[in-house]
Amino acid sequence: MNEKSKTGLADRRLRERLLLGRAVPGDHLRLADATLLGALDGSRPLTANERAALMHSPLTLRRLRVLSDAVRKQAGAAAIWMRSGGLLRAAASSTTLDRLVTDDGCWALHFVPDGDGWSVILALAAEAPFAPGLMRQQPMLRVLDGAGATVLQGRLDIDGECEDGWPFDTPPARHFQLHGGMFAVETAAP
Amino acid sequence: MRLPGTRYQEHGWEQVRKLLGHCSLLALNGEGVPALLGHGDKGEGGPAPAALLERYTEAVATALGRSAGSSRAEAPGNHYGESVAELALSLLYELRAQPSYWDGFLAAVASEHARNGAFWTGAGADGILRKKINDMYAGLRDKVDADNCQVALGKPCSPNKIYTYRMLDTAYGDIAALFANWQVHEDQVAAILGRAPGGLPIEARQMKSIAGCKAEWVIRWSETLDRFAGSPGPLHTKSKRFASLKNQPDKIAAMLAEIGDYEELSANLDHAEGWAGDAGEAALWLEDYWRVLGESEAAAPEGTDDRLLAAPDDEFAGPETDGPVPPDAAPLPDEPLALPTPALTPALTPGQRAHEQALALSLSLPPRFIELAAASQDASSWTLRMLKDDTLPVRLAVYQKMLGGADDSYPDEWRDPATGELPTLQQLAALDGVSMPTLRKRRNEAIARLSACTPGL
Repeated sequence: MNEKSKTGLADRRLRERLLLGRAVPGDHLRLADATLLGALDGSRPLTANERAALMHSPLTLRRLRVLSDAVRKQAGAAAIWMRSGGLLRAAASSTTLDRLVTDDGCWALHFVPDGDGWSVILALAAEAPFAPGLMRQQPMLRVLDGAGATVLQGRLDIDGECEDGWPFDTPPARHFQLHGGMFAVETAAP
Repeated sequence: MRLPGTRYQEHGWEQVRKLLGHCSLLALNGEGVPALLGHGDKGEGGPAPAALLERYTEAVATALGRSAGSSRAEAPGNHYGESVAELALSLLYELRAQPSYWDGFLAAVASEHARNGAFWTGAGADGILRKKINDMYAGLRDKVDADNCQVALGKPCSPNKIYTYRMLDTAYGDIAALFANWQVHEDQVAAILGRAPGGLPIEARQMKSIAGCKAEWVIRWSETLDRFAGSPGPLHTKSKRFASLKNQPDKIAAMLAEIGDYEELSANLDHAEGWAGDAGEAALWLEDYWRVLGESEAAAPEGTDDRLLAAPDDEFAGPETDGPVPPDAAPLPDEPLALPTPALTPALTPGQRAHEQALALSLSLPPRFIELAAASQDASSWTLRMLKDDTLPVRLAVYQKMLGGADDSYPDEWRDPATGELPTLQQLAALDGVSMPTLRKRRNEAIARLSACTPGL
């Protein structure tokens, strides 16, 4: 917002009212959500006819407003998320470790035997508040053990998962025991 | 009943309807009704429908203001925390945005007059008028809520579909009442359940919400209503409005589930969390809109297929509600003009300044009102560029009409310290040295100018 203008907000609201408060007989949703979202994230600009349809349909403009506000909210949530941490549970250490979950419940690490070693899979919980934003932004993620060594690094696939081979010689449970009994998921610096 | 986005479908509606009816009668009493007949397609000399609508909405808004504080006005109108008075006022604003409902009201008044002469002078005049007012707002609320629902879900919805949801919701309420009182209505409950009467029906205990109501029950309830209540049920009336629905239990079941799902969801929502939030308050989406337009213009559109949605069929339109399909969107306007930035405040002579200050004082406004109010408007703003040839009072009147007198976006310099709101139209006219009708006319011309270039703004 223009700090110097005391009436910037009033102007904006007036223009909003002019755009949305029009009666257009026979108005209906002229563009699908996928089309509007593609235009909002810049992946597919509107064609000239779609642009004209949007400009002349208060109903479609109102849907754009809903989607724009939702994307903004999600982007805000994604921007806030930096790091989730978790502990190796006592019970987990005594048996074969197949799963660890961060304290916020937003991430799980799965360990799957794979030939002589293991695979490690990082999975994002669909209900995580920052999930939609992360899925859109696809940042580089890193899983660290308690000593700060990288366990896994990569980007989420479309299922919200990232998989790689277990990078250490010691099995997962023993490794975490030896390295502080902690782990963390964070965005890797680009 | 609650559906995503809807505001006018809950129990509070009855009071909203009554309040609007009451205030409308106040607004139209005396000379009001004959004046409504003065217009016509052939230009019979009376005021145009738009002018009548403006006069009507101003009078109703005033009457609503006077009703503030009454128990009816303060009663809750819906579960979002909006009061009956707030809903009545916002529906009144919607009427301005959807003037076809006003035109329908005028047509109903004209045809009543053609049939029965000066009906407003006879006994029961209020009742006749109130019925027409009710019809206007009943149609308008379903139109507004159908649009609200489409916007919330991104799926088509029509006023007829809203009406159908409401019929099903009412059916559920009736069935639930019968189940709760099953000893008294044993035969009817048995008929709804489709089996012989025999003790406490377990279904009656298991149906906790509309989501637990079965489509067959609704169909049988409607079928047997004639026998038990003396008049045919909504799926079985002669009007055939819902006739096809009785053969579509799947569709009924899906709609009952939709109402139930949203009722459960909305019961868990925090009341304070509006659908708009801070971003909505600041209308930040406009930035996205302008960017989307810009990127679309910059992109070479060659070879990209248009992905446009056709107008959906209204599967819920009853036979008697089929009307002509209104024409589609207007053609593209010319590109908006790039306008020069006007000078901020014209230099005034000491004499002019003294006159301005005396004028403001005579209206109980701060002496430097005009000067300070003008200076607080950003010279590069779109509105000021569009309205550069209009006076400050006309510009403020535009804001007052479009956003109301008390919008929290207004700077203090625009407000009358006595009321905390924009000066009244009367004060603005006096500040401008013109009559109220002249100010109204200039204000409306200014809004028409803004509207004309709105699609590209």
